[in-house]
Parts: sequence; structure tokens; C-alpha cells
Amino acid sequence: MRLSADDLKGGYALSCQTVVEGDLEIFVPPQEEITRHLTTEKTAAKVSVPFEYDWRVHQTVAKYFVEIEPPTLADNTDDLARLERELARAYDLRDLDAPLAILRTLARTLRDAEWRVTVVIDRGGARPRIVDILPGDQTLSLYGAAVDIGTTTVTVYLVDLFTGEVVETAADYNGQIKRGEDVISRIVFASKGNGLVELQSLVAQTINKLVERATLRRKCKPHEIYKMTLVGNSTMMHILLGLPPEQIRLTPYITTLNHPPTVLATELNLNIHPEAPVDCLPGVASYMGADITAGVLSSGTHDTDKVTLFLDIGTNGEMVLGTREWLVSCACSAGPAFEGAGVFHGMRATTGAIEEVYINTQTYEPTYRVIGGGKACGLCGSGLISLIAEMFITGVTDKAGNINLTLPTPRVRTGEHGAEYVIAWAAESDTGADIVITKPDVDNLLRAKAAIYAGYVMLAHSVGMTLKDVEQMLIGGSFGQYLNIEKAIEIGLLPDLPWERFHFLGNTAARGAYMALLRRDARDDIAAIAKKMTYLELAADNAFNDQFMAALFLPHTDLTQFESVRKVLQAAE
Amino acid sequence: MPVTVEVPKEKYGGKVREVVIGATKDQGGTRSKAITIGGEAALPFMHFEGAIPHPPAIAIEVQDRKPSDWSPVVLDAWKEVADDPVKWAKAAEAAGADLILLKLNTTLADGSPNTPANAKKVVRDVLNATGLPLMVFGPGQAELDNELLVPVAEEAKGEKIVLGVAEDKNYRTIVAAAMANDHVVNSRTPMDVNLAKQLVILIHDMGLPLERVLMDPTTGALGYGIEYGYSVMERLRLAALQGDGMTQQPMVVTPGEEAWRVKESKVGTDVPAMWGDWKERAIHWETLTAASLVETGADILVLRHPEAVKRVKEMIAQLMSQTR
Repeated sequence: MRLSADDLKGGYALSCQTVVEGDLEIFVPPQEEITRHLTTEKTAAKVSVPFEYDWRVHQTVAKYFVEIEPPTLADNTDDLARLERELARAYDLRDLDAPLAILRTLARTLRDAEWRVTVVIDRGGARPRIVDILPGDQTLSLYGAAVDIGTTTVTVYLVDLFTGEVVETAADYNGQIKRGEDVISRIVFASKGNGLVELQSLVAQTINKLVERATLRRKCKPHEIYKMTLVGNSTMMHILLGLPPEQIRLTPYITTLNHPPTVLATELNLNIHPEAPVDCLPGVASYMGADITAGVLSSGTHDTDKVTLFLDIGTNGEMVLGTREWLVSCACSAGPAFEGAGVFHGMRATTGAIEEVYINTQTYEPTYRVIGGGKACGLCGSGLISLIAEMFITGVTDKAGNINLTLPTPRVRTGEHGAEYVIAWAAESDTGADIVITKPDVDNLLRAKAAIYAGYVMLAHSVGMTLKDVEQMLIGGSFGQYLNIEKAIEIGLLPDLPWERFHFLGNTAARGAYMALLRRDARDDIAAIAKKMTYLELAADNAFNDQFMAALFLPHTDLTQFESVRKVLQAAE
Repeated sequence: MPVTVEVPKEKYGGKVREVVIGATKDQGGTRSKAITIGGEAALPFMHFEGAIPHPPAIAIEVQDRKPSDWSPVVLDAWKEVADDPVKWAKAAEAAGADLILLKLNTTLADGSPNTPANAKKVVRDVLNATGLPLMVFGPGQAELDNELLVPVAEEAKGEKIVLGVAEDKNYRTIVAAAMANDHVVNSRTPMDVNLAKQLVILIHDMGLPLERVLMDPTTGALGYGIEYGYSVMERLRLAALQGDGMTQQPMVVTPGEEAWRVKESKVGTDVPAMWGDWKERAIHWETLTAASLVETGADILVLRHPEAVKRVKEMIAQLMSQTR
């Protein structure tokens, strides 16, 4: 990171190079502000119950209302046995576990409620366990929560466990972001001093805040949530559970565990009911976490006869190839470029982000669309993909991403970081400076897309196939919602398949967590997926690097893999 | 009972492109002969599987002024001619070179930056001094290369020289100069099959015919990564024979420069006695580096020591004669 002369004039300073000598006021420039709510907030309302659901059959937590015979001198059975006797009689529930915390208040609760209570039972373990005892009949509602802990974004679904419906959703940035943008920097932070405790607390706070937001809207209370199902990559899971994640970063990349046990909310400082079971779903390996196994479930990759390529684009690019019969997966570090990070004028997909660009083939003048319709602040992932595709097709760059400085337009020039192309002049931008894409930016994006494409090829080759054999491609991750297929193929981010084979599924991880929250058999399916999935370690040999270098070109060194782009280029000539 | 064994033969769908360097009077230049390289339809010297129409060619490296960092073992071999590129080029021709490689230095003898005027003059003088086809390489700094090679291309117009080296960063200028003046371009990439192919595509995209592109996949000296370079060249050649059109360029390598950079050839004192005679060891180093690259498909080898030239030429002659 280097500051330009304009930056310095504007009062910018690198914090790592600055000594604080007194009170310090930090001004957050407009392009850093997040003014648009995350799209998951809007789209989540559309989540529908994905399968047949009857809470009595499928749900592991349940509420039972009982009216207990009060004790007398003639019937001196103890309180717990009295409660158990009634549950056995009315609901055939036997051999219950009762946590000490419940027992300590049992005498008071039963008497205050005049022996009419609602018992919340968790049937997920070997023996049914009492989670809570509530006064009176409170069987009208029963809530659970499904949570996706992304490296960047955390999403919470508040679910009515009686109907199975998602009643509220909330999403926000993972509070750990201030301690590092990617999993590696989080792991490094966690390994130092109190880092792990701090990161655990930050993500718990994020979840608590979102639970609070969702329950407030629903007009219920966080402690009415009696079950939580969580997904996330293996690093996020380790940190949430307080497990040291450093081995994930070090060869041979071994997790403490891939299938965490069910724990209690109170153990993780999650502000739902303290005795509520918290189920962290199983993953496969250090870089193949529960977010992907859950994504496979919700996308149906594991349950189709079609050869399916499932891709989850986040900060990491994880992908799974398979059918009903087999699943093989790999992960490649794409980096945060598609989320707008690591790009000089990159930004997240919020108000002011350029999300689509077209370039005139004769004049090289761009036209672009800004989220929110106002002045542009920078470029988000889809804007960057669209821009690179246009620059390449119109010849602003060559196939290696070199910007052609000999073009007759002031939009190509040499800037502080080498060759650059100006998308918006200072007068049209909200930041008061030209919005440009530089050669290092292009290189970053090329590396990201090359890593992802090389991953596809490695997966296909590992089972003796080519990408042409892929019958459907399912794309998860919030990024996928804006992606323009044509542009993504033109830069070689997506394989050159007929467009109808691509399907965007939104947040597949959260949906998978939601399905596992509802039905025990869906949860079992995720465990089976994790067990069945072969994980391909790309670091094991040089083949990935070869494929990566081949993909480090627009659209690819081997143009026969991109017949449609070849035709576009031919037409452009 | 005699048994007849049918030797299995590989059939390839592709072959290496032929590239002509140098132009004679009839062809618009002044060379006494032009040289054709490439055209292989089989792996190196597998004469029974396909034609190997042209032997690998040897270029001898000559510099525009006496190099300051060369091993005394090489400089002793050329003696005073190394002071004068014209005499040096003549001596190189006499030593059996098929082509002359003229390398332009970063600086002039007085330490000031090399100039277009000097580059043009040296190229003209060398063209006048020898009838061999010429290759001209810049100092290897993108900006200075552009500054020197454009006037060189103009000066040598019609001679069909090889301009080098075009790399990812500066290929545009050099390719444009080659297109305008009818020269050949040497496309250099750092030891990777895909990178080699990518730069050929970029150069071809500018409109230069592939019949005027050489590919320089970079190599290392014996003991200094040659196996990596060897493998990359082998894979490029296999891809070419299998019909991958963008890998079918003849390959140029610079074993002389690489071999004379390493301690084993550069240093004569304070080395273990078992390393043996310095001069002989150093010549072996260049010869063996070059010989390995001949075996993996090099079409032009740029060498420095006349004795190494002699030995490598002998080896090539033998390999070419075994046509059975």
C-alpha cells in the first residue's frame, strides 16, 4: 500500500507509519462507509420451507405442556420424578436428562406456575434433555436460529420451528473484520496473546446482535430460541468454539476436528437460551468447511444424476464436483479481489459502487451503472468483472491484461502504479478523484479468476472428465447474485458452457444450516456428505500451478476451452 | 530363428514452424546466405519418426564493446578482437558460427548510457563486416531496449534480423519495429510452458506472422536449474508436435551466457583441487549445458567460447547424420 501525492495532500497517513502523540481523530472517507444494507437482508424474505416438515416428526426440540398433580402428604414423590411421571404418562417421554441449572429453579417454577408448565425438550442426543421449564402453556411458539458465519458476512435466519418458516433474517459484517480481512490474517491474530479469545468474542457479539435484531422485529426474546445450527468455514468454526486455528494455516493443514460436538449456548457466550443446543455442522478439511457441506445439501449437488459443479465464491473459492454417486472438492485461495478488496478503487457492493461497465469499441469511452444511481465511489466485484471483460474485448488490454497505452484516448495513461484506465473522471466521482483501474488491480483479478478456473480443471481431471462434461453449474455465495454470466465467461472465471446451465442460488450455506436446523435427517445428510466427499489437496503437486498459469490469461491460454469467446473476439476484429 | 522387430513409431499431427533469418540480395538484403531453422516433425533427432530438416544452428555472442564481466577464459580465447565488434564478428564467422548475436550493452565504454546512434553504427558495421544472418539483443531493460532496438530495426531494414528480447512488458514496441521493418522477433519468457505460449499469442495478436517469431523459454546452466528448463522445452516441443499452434515456434536458448555465469566456469582460484583444470572445466560446462539443450529441441544455441562451439557443432553433425 502506498499513498499518492493527492492522498497525502488530503491528509491521509499510513497508520503503521504514524506515531500517535495525543488525542487522535480519525475521519472515515465516504468510500469506506457502508450505506446499503447487505442484500441478504432483502432476499432472505423469499426463503421458503424447502421440504415437507412436521415438527413432531422431524424436529429435535419440542415443547410439551403438562398439568402436574400437586404433591400432598399422601403423595410425597419428589418434584422431578413428579414432572417425569407426567411427561411419561402424557407424551411417553422417559429417561430424561435434567441439567443442574434447571433443577435449581425447579421447585420455584412448578409452584409459581401452579403445577402447569411447558417443558422444552431437546431430543437430539442419546437421551432427551430438559432445556427449559416455562410457567403455564407456552406451546404457541418455538424458535430456532440458523447461522452462517462467513469470513466477511454473518447471516442469521430466525425460524419458527412449528411451521418451519424463516420469520426474520438479519445479516451484517463479521465483527472480526477489524482484526483481518481473510482467514489467514485471522488465524495469525488468533495465535497471538489473547487473540483467540477476542476473535471468539467478536463473532459471538455479531451473532448476538443479529439475533437481537431479528427477535426484536419478531417481537420475541433471544432466550426463546432453543436451538441454533451453525455453518462456516473451518477457521470460523474453530474460532467460534475457541479452538486454536493455527494448524489450519500450517502444512499439512490439519484441523482439531471436522465434526464438532453439540455444545450449549452458554459455553460460547451466545445470548439465546443458555441451555439451548448449538449444533456446529461438520466440514471435511481445513479449507473445506461446513459452509460447503451445507451448501452441497441445499444446492442438491449430492442428490442429482447430472454432473454438477457447485461453486461458492467468497474470500475463498471452494468448489465441489459430483453427482448422487460421488463428490470431489477443492479449495483455492482466490483472495478478496472479487469483493472489491486489494483493488485500488475497489469497494463492496454498496451505494456508489460501479456494478456494470460498457466500453465503446471506437472511442474507448465507458458507460457504467452505479448502485443507488448516484455518483461513483469505486468498483465492486461485478463491476470489476464487467470492466475487465470490456477492456479485454475492446482491446484496452491485451490477453495478458497489459493496458495498451498507445490507444488514442486520454483514458489510458501512466499513473503512480503504472498503466491505468480511467473509468470516471474526478468530476463524475463522489470521491473527487479519478476512478481508475491499474495494472496491479488487473493482475490481482486475473490471479483470482485463474485460481478458481484452475480449481475446476483440477476437479474435472481428478475424475477423468473435462469441463465440457459439466451438465449444470450451481453458484452460491452472495457474490453470485450480481454476476453477469457472459462477462464472467469472457474473462475465464466461469467455464464456457451454455448459459442455461448456470444457476445462482444465493446463500447456499445459510440455507443448508436452515435445512439442518429443521430436519434431523437433513442434518444426517450433511454428515453423510462430509463423509462421502473426497477432498483434493491442491498443494500436493505442481499440476495446480500449471493449470493456474494456463488460466492466467484472457480468457485462457488454451482458447479451445472458450469457443464462445473466440467467436466474440473474431467478431470484434 | 531370426525375429523381426517392428520399431514402434509415434505419429505426430503437428510440426515446428520454419523461420528464415537473414535476407540475401535476391531477398532484399545483403547477407551472403539466409538460414532456415525449425521444421521438425519429430522429437529431436528421432529421424525415423519424422523429418528433422534443419540442424540446430549456433550463434556466437559478440558485444558492442568489450564486456567487463566476462570470464578471462572466454576473453583469452578471443584475445584483442573482443575490443572491436567488427573484428569479433569476423572471428566468430571464422570460428564456425551460423549466425552472429550482437548484444548491446547498457552503457558505453565511458560508462554513459548506450545510445541509439551507437547501436545503429555498430549494427551497420557488423552487417558490413560479415555475411552471416544477424541477431541483435538489447541490454535487457525494457525501456532502454525499446530506445535502442527501434532505430536498430530501421537501420537493418530488409536484412531480416532477429530482434530481442521481447518480453511481457515491452513486446509491443519491439514487435511494432519488427513489423515495420520486416524482421523476426525473439519472444522470451521465464521458464514456463504457458507463459511461453501466452507471449507468442500476444505477439501474434499484434499481427506479426508466426513465421517471424522465435521462442526463448529461458534456460539455466548445468547444475543451476537446467532440468527445469529442459523439461519446459520438452513439453513445449511435445505440445508443438501434438498440434498446439501457439507452441510451434523454433526455440532459441542462451547456454553460453548461463554457463559462464556460474562459479564453476567463472572462478579459477580457491576452488577444490578435484574440480580440475579451470579452462577445461569451464569449456565443458558450456558444452554440456548446450549439448543438453540440443537434446531437448533447441533450434538456435547462443554460445561464447570457440572451443565449445566446435564441440557442440561436432555433436550436432553426428546426431544429424544418424538418419537410420
